Amino acid sequence: MNEAQTIEVEVRAIEQITPLIKHFTLAPAGGGSMPAFSGGSHIVVVMRGDARIHRNPYSLLSSPQDLSTYEIGVRRMEESRGGSHFMHDRVHVGDRLQIAHPVNLFALDKIARKHVLIAGGIGITPFMAQLEDLRAGSVPYELHYSVRAPEHAAFLPRLLERERANVRMYYDSAAQLIDFDGLLSNQPLGTHVYVCGPAGLIERVIKTARDCGWPDSHIHWEQFSAPPVGDAFDVFLARARVSVHVQPDQSLMESIEAAGVEVPYLCRGGVCGFCQTRVLELDGELIHNDHYLSDADKAKGTSIMPCVSRARCKSLVLDL
Amino acid sequence: MLVTGIKSKPVYAPLRADVRGRYHLMLGHGAGGDALLRVLGEMLASAPQALQNTRVLYVAGSTDASRTIREFGELALGEFRVFAEEAPLLAQFNSVLEHALMGTRLYVAGQESFIGLAMQIALKFNLNKDEIRAEELGSLARRVYCVHCRATTANVRTNIVRCVDCQRWLLVRDHYSRRLAAYMGVMVDAEAPGQLPPVKEVFV
Repeated sequence: MNEAQTIEVEVRAIEQITPLIKHFTLAPAGGGSMPAFSGGSHIVVVMRGDARIHRNPYSLLSSPQDLSTYEIGVRRMEESRGGSHFMHDRVHVGDRLQIAHPVNLFALDKIARKHVLIAGGIGITPFMAQLEDLRAGSVPYELHYSVRAPEHAAFLPRLLERERANVRMYYDSAAQLIDFDGLLSNQPLGTHVYVCGPAGLIERVIKTARDCGWPDSHIHWEQFSAPPVGDAFDVFLARARVSVHVQPDQSLMESIEAAGVEVPYLCRGGVCGFCQTRVLELDGELIHNDHYLSDADKAKGTSIMPCVSRARCKSLVLDL
Repeated sequence: MLVTGIKSKPVYAPLRADVRGRYHLMLGHGAGGDALLRVLGEMLASAPQALQNTRVLYVAGSTDASRTIREFGELALGEFRVFAEEAPLLAQFNSVLEHALMGTRLYVAGQESFIGLAMQIALKFNLNKDEIRAEELGSLARRVYCVHCRATTANVRTNIVRCVDCQRWLLVRDHYSRRLAAYMGVMVDAEAPGQLPPVKEVFV
């Protein structure tokens, strides 16, 4: 992915739908329609702040059958590095934004016999688009949607209007918890489970499914990690012959991009593996924050995902 | 001839117990029974309670299987059924899958054509590679699908075979279809009618 391949969009509507979530509608700035996508896809939004450029991934929640606009939901993160605050505070109706083409890293299994969707909070967004695909098909499905309290249930009116029979709500405020074991120990053969939401929810679903004997090929999850902050460090890019200083609140990828070197990426959230970069020299340790490399690969220290991972080191040389 | 290195040719491996599964469904044909008994022996040693959640469907085929059947009978299995023929076993397998739950592991052992027919049913139920294990034992005789008339010729032991329906001479390729549970057969003398390469017994 690079800037040349982005699409310019105009912000058509902004709605504050929960105390923390804003709903954005984006239309192609030049008219026409948006590129086709499948449920579960995300886009990367490029935000030009004063000091730096943010690029954050957001799942598309609009219907894949309606390409006149794209819709995304942005939750205001308490410990934002700037991206979600930029979207909430700086973006207005009529503004123009650059977005990357949709990529799907969280697709529905095409030959599943049943789909069980589990959403926590803002994790509802990819399912909104997937439900549009599912409603058009004949395979049974159900959505289990867990939020802190009724006022935090984003898109609930839309869900109840379209999906009343297939949605079950759980409110923390009413001590309603998903019975993970009951849900996953009693599904017909050929069922796939999908989970999106906070890390704790994802881990719980994966663990319970495995304990119930589910094979990994039937367990799907998506979580975009925000790049964590850390200590500043320096990196040398061997092919570009450039030294780069990474600030504490800046990701390695952002620092490299600011130095004028492009890193190929798709998700910028430690999921897709596209930005995997070879480590040529290291005096110190890598801090892996991605969900892509295996623990064994992380221990080897020969590769890094610059979108979310960092280093605590005297020197680091990358094959870029 | 025309048949090396084709990726669709199934690869099998000796069966091992997968006790991460909650339910175990085992299908055996002929000599495949011994492979299943070996897996059950592993389970008995590592996770004996798994035997109660294990169902075995077995067909003897042409071999004398009285010892195998006796040994299955001595285990405390959730269910053990012996079938006189392959077709009713596969029908029963299909109806078991209709009611099976996620967490089921499938083990198939026997001759390749039996494995292929079982896999064809498993595919309908969206069982993936990480839920299925198969070990090939016994005859290599193939089911061959005629790409010209779409008939399937069973129990093929030779590199070239006459299609059971359209009577064309077919070259048996390694190109395998999981959907059809058969190897592809293509007309071998289309360019020079009647001129056949030597016919050899290769799938024994």
